[in-house]
Amino acid sequence: MEVKILSAKFKLKNANKITVAKKHGAYATLGKLFAMKPEDVIEEVKKSGLRGRGGAGFPAGVKWGFLPKNTGKPIYLAVNSDESEPATFKDRYILVKDPHMLIEGIIICSYAIGSHETYIYIRGEYTTQVRVLQAAIDEAYAAGYLGDSVAGHDFKLNVTVHRGAGAYVCGEETALLESIEGKKGQPRSKPPFPAVAGLYGCPTIINNVQSIASLPFIIDKGADAYKVYGTEKSPGTHLFGISGHVEKPGMYELPLGLPILEVIDKVAGGVWKGRKLKGIIPGGSSTPVLLPEEAQDVTLDYESMAAHKTMFGSGGIVVLDETVDIVALVKNLIDFYHHESCGQCTPCREGLGWMLKIIKKILRREGSMDDVLLLRELCDNIEMKTVCVLSAACTMPVRSYLDKFRHEFEAYVQDASASAQVKQE
Amino acid sequence: MADTIKLFVNGVEVEVETGKNLIDAIGAVGIEIPHLCYHPALGADGNCRMCLVGIEDGRPPLVPACKTPAQAGMKVLLDAAHIKKIQRDVMELELINHPTDCPICDQAGECKLQDYYMTYGRPESRMTVPQVQKSKKLDFGCGVVHDQERCVTCGRCVRFCREITKTGELGIINRTDDARVNIFPGRPINNRYALNVVDLCPVGAMTSKDFRFKQRVWFLKKAPGICHGCAKGCNITIEHNREKYQDDIIYRFRPRLNRQVNGYFMCDAGRLSYRQENEGRLLAARLGSQIRPLEDVLAACTREIEQAGKIAILLSPNCSLEQMVAVKALAAKLQASLSGFSTGYIKEGDGDGLLIEDDKAANRAGLALLGIDCSRESFEKAVRDAQLLINFNNDLTRTYSDSELKKLLKDTKVIIAATHDDRLSAMADIAIPVATSSEYAGSLINCHNILQTFAGAVSRNHKPANIGEIAAKLGSPLQSRAEQFAELRKYLSVLKDFEADTVPAEGLKLNESEAANVTA
Ligand SMILES: Cc1cc2nc3c(=O)[nH]c(=O)nc-3n(C[C@H](O)[C@H](O)[C@H](O)COP(=O)(O)O)c2cc1C
Ligand code: SF4
Ligand code: SF4
Ligand code: SF4
Ligand code: FES
Repeated sequence: MEVKILSAKFKLKNANKITVAKKHGAYATLGKLFAMKPEDVIEEVKKSGLRGRGGAGFPAGVKWGFLPKNTGKPIYLAVNSDESEPATFKDRYILVKDPHMLIEGIIICSYAIGSHETYIYIRGEYTTQVRVLQAAIDEAYAAGYLGDSVAGHDFKLNVTVHRGAGAYVCGEETALLESIEGKKGQPRSKPPFPAVAGLYGCPTIINNVQSIASLPFIIDKGADAYKVYGTEKSPGTHLFGISGHVEKPGMYELPLGLPILEVIDKVAGGVWKGRKLKGIIPGGSSTPVLLPEEAQDVTLDYESMAAHKTMFGSGGIVVLDETVDIVALVKNLIDFYHHESCGQCTPCREGLGWMLKIIKKILRREGSMDDVLLLRELCDNIEMKTVCVLSAACTMPVRSYLDKFRHEFEAYVQDASASAQVKQE
Repeated sequence: MADTIKLFVNGVEVEVETGKNLIDAIGAVGIEIPHLCYHPALGADGNCRMCLVGIEDGRPPLVPACKTPAQAGMKVLLDAAHIKKIQRDVMELELINHPTDCPICDQAGECKLQDYYMTYGRPESRMTVPQVQKSKKLDFGCGVVHDQERCVTCGRCVRFCREITKTGELGIINRTDDARVNIFPGRPINNRYALNVVDLCPVGAMTSKDFRFKQRVWFLKKAPGICHGCAKGCNITIEHNREKYQDDIIYRFRPRLNRQVNGYFMCDAGRLSYRQENEGRLLAARLGSQIRPLEDVLAACTREIEQAGKIAILLSPNCSLEQMVAVKALAAKLQASLSGFSTGYIKEGDGDGLLIEDDKAANRAGLALLGIDCSRESFEKAVRDAQLLINFNNDLTRTYSDSELKKLLKDTKVIIAATHDDRLSAMADIAIPVATSSEYAGSLINCHNILQTFAGAVSRNHKPANIGEIAAKLGSPLQSRAEQFAELRKYLSVLKDFEADTVPAEGLKLNESEAANVTA
C-alpha cells in the first residue's frame, strides 16, 4: 500500500545534505520551473488538485489565486511548520530527512506567487529539526539556490527560519503571522484574510510544510502524474502518522482514499495485543472519533471523512483499543486545548477552563448527570463563537465522545451518586 | 449629514450613516448591540464576542458587529432566539470566573458587566466548580489600581497605552483563563493620561486610587463642564454630591466626548484639578484680616475706589468671556487701566501634542479678542502709577515670588476677588470670595479658536459670587449675563444667532476672520 513520493529519499543516508539530495534529483525541476510562466505554475498546481496538508484541506492553487494583483506591496510566503496538534508527526520527517525537497517547494511556490521572502515558522520544541533545516538552507544559499539569483535565474529569494516559543495556537495561520511580527501569538479575526493583508499587512500565503514539499513532484512529473494517486477530490499522497494501540506505529506515506481499517490492519499491523478496536481518531486530536462500526466504509480522504461527520485533519490516526478510558481521554484532550487557548476570546478562554474542571470532577467520580449534560451544552455554546477554531478543535471531538460513549460518562456519574448514597446511609 | 444607507434590524428598516461598523451605525439610531472590547476611540479588537449578531442570508451568518461594516440592505438579526442565546451564553462564560461581589465593587452602578447581566444574562449560576483566582489590588502606578479577577481581558486599557499614549506599559500576560493584565516588573504606568484607563475599563478592574470607595456612583450628580486646566478646554462631566449637612463636593471630573476638542479623553492633571475646586477656598469676605459681610466689604471697596486717584485692574486669563467684558466695562467706567498679564500661566514645552497645552490658562484667547493688554511692562507701570489694584483672581504668584510681589505692591492697595485663600489673598487689603468655574456659567475660547459654553454645576455653602456680579456691584454697566453676552456679540458676529444657552454642545469653531480677530 505504501508509496514513495514525498518519502522517496527518507531511507537514504544523509539525504538532508545537498550533495546527496542533488544526486537523487533535488532541484532538478528548477530548469523546467523557470521556463514556465508563474500563472502556468499556479494552473498546474490547481490542476493537480493538491489540497492543503495543514488540516483544512483547502486547494493550494486556489488559495494562491486569491492574492490581489499589483498592490505594490511585497508578497510573503509563510511555511507552517508548527506541527503541534497531538498525534501529528509528519512534517518533522520532511524537515529532517529531506529538507531540500521543502526548499525546492518553496522556490516553486515563491516563483508562482511572485514572492521573494519566505518565513518558515517552526515550533520551538523542534530543536533537531531546526538545526537540520537551517543547515540545509545554508547549503542552498551556498549553492546558489537561494539568494539574489536562484539557480542563476533572475529571481531573488530569501528564506528565514523563525522559531516559535511553544504555543500550539501559533500554528493557526494568523497567530503565526503575529508571532513572526514579534507579537503575542494570537489569531487575528478575519476578514481580512492573509492573502489580502497578512504579514506586516502585506499579501501573504501560508502553507503547510507537506503542502509545499508536494510541489517538486507536481512540477517535475506533472499534475496528471500526481492525480494517479488518491481520489478525484483528494488526489495525491499523504504522510500518515499512525499511533496508539497498533502493533507497528509509525509514519507511512500512502495514497489518499484507502480504507481506514485496512490501513490499520495491513500497514500498522492491526490493533495491538490482539485486543478489540474501540475507536479511531482519524486525523489528529481535534477530529471527531469514529466507532469501529462507523469506520467500516471510511476511506482516508477528505470526502469520506466529511460524509462521516469527521475530518481528514492532519492525517494523524490514533487507534484506541478496548481498554481506553474515554472519560480520561477526554480529560487529556480538554487539558491540552485549555492549556493552549490564547485566551483572547471569552468563550474559549473561560469555557475551556470550565469544561476542564467539569471533566475532572466527573473523573473524580464527583460529577452528576447535570455535569455531563452541561459539558455537552458547553460544546455548542463555545463552538464557532470565537476568533479562531482552536475552541472548535476541542469541542468537536469532545462532543463526539460524549455522544458516542455516553455510557462511559454515565458510569462515572452513577458511581458518584452511588457512593454519595452510601455516605448518606 | 453624512451619507446614509438603509438596512434592516430585526426586519425593521433603519437609515444609518455609512462608513461605520454595525455597533456605531445601529447604535446611533438607538439600538444597542452589547459590546465590551470595542471602543470607538480604540477600534475593534473582536475578543469579547458579546457583539455577535446574525446576518440573514449572510456568509458567514454570524459576525462580530464591531468588525462588520454596515452595508446597504444588510439584514441584521439581534432579537432572534439564536442570537439571544449566544448573548446569554457569552455572558455566562464572561461571568463564571468573575467575583460575584458587586456590592463591594467600586464600579457597581456603572459596570457594563452588571448592566449586561441584567439585560442579557441567565439569572441562575451553573458554576459548581472553583473559580480561577488571580491577584487583586495591584498598584499599577499613576493612581491606577487593578483587580485581575474583575478583568474581562477586553484589552481596552492595553490598547489605550499602546495606541493613544504610545507608552505601552500594559500587556496581557499568560494564555487561557490565566490571562491577565499586568505591567512589566518594576515598570509602572508612566504617562500623563493614565486615569483614562479607569474610564475605559468596562468593569471594575481598573479603579482610581483617588476616587475608589469614596462615593457610590449612583449618588453622584452629573453636570457638563469645561476643564480650566489648560488652553485645550477639554469637555468634562463634573460629578458632585451634597451629603446631608455637608457642602456640595466634587468627587471627580471625567472626560466628556467632544470630537472637536478632546475626543474621549482628558489628562490626569486636569482630571485631578477637581480637588482645587473643593480645597483651600476663600470662604468669606475680608477687610484686612477681619471677616465681614459681603455688603460691608463691597461698600468698603466703593470707598477705596472713590478715594484712589488711579486704579489698575487685573484679569485672570481663566475668566470667562462674560466676566472679561464685565470687568472691561468696569475699567472703562472707572477710567482704570486694564491688564491680563499672566505669563506665569504658560509652561513652555509642557504641551505634548495630544491634549496638554503649554498655556495653563483656559481663556487667553478671550483676552486677545477683547483687546486686553497683557504685557508685563504696561502692567507693572500701571501698578506703580496706581493707588489701587483690583485683581480679579489672577494668580500673580505664578509670575512673581513673594518678595517681588511685596515690592511691586508696596505703595498700592489691593482688592482681590479670589477663589482661593492663599498667599495672594493674605497679602490683599480686601478679599472677596468668588466662584470657581464649576460654580458659574460662562464661555471660553480655547487654543483652537473654539468657543465653548458651560453652566454652573455646584452650589457651595459659602455662596461665592461670580466675578461678573462683583464687577457689576463695583459699577460695571453690564449688570447681567444677558447684557454681558449681548456685549460679546459686538466682538463675535457669529454669536448673533445664539444665546448663551443655545451655543452648540460641541462648541462654535470661530471662522477665519473671527479667528483673526482673536489673534489680532
Ligand atoms: C489552532 C490551530 C492550529 C493549527 N496548527 C497548524 C500546524 O501546526 N501546522 C499547519 O500546517 N497548520 C496548522 N493549522 C492550520 C493553519 O491555520 C492553516 O490552515 C494551514 O497552515 C494552511 O496551510 P495549508 O493550506 O497548506 O494546509 C492550525 C490551525 C488552527 C486553528
Ligand atoms: S478561539 Fe481560543 S485560541 Fe482562538 S483566538 Fe479565541 S481564545 Fe484564542
Ligand atoms: S483592566 Fe479593564 S480595560 Fe483592561 S483588559 Fe481588563 S477589563 Fe479590559
Ligand atoms: S488637557 Fe488641559 S483641558 Fe484637558 S484635561 Fe488636561 S488640563 Fe484639562
Ligand atoms: S465588541 Fe465585538 S467582539 Fe467585543
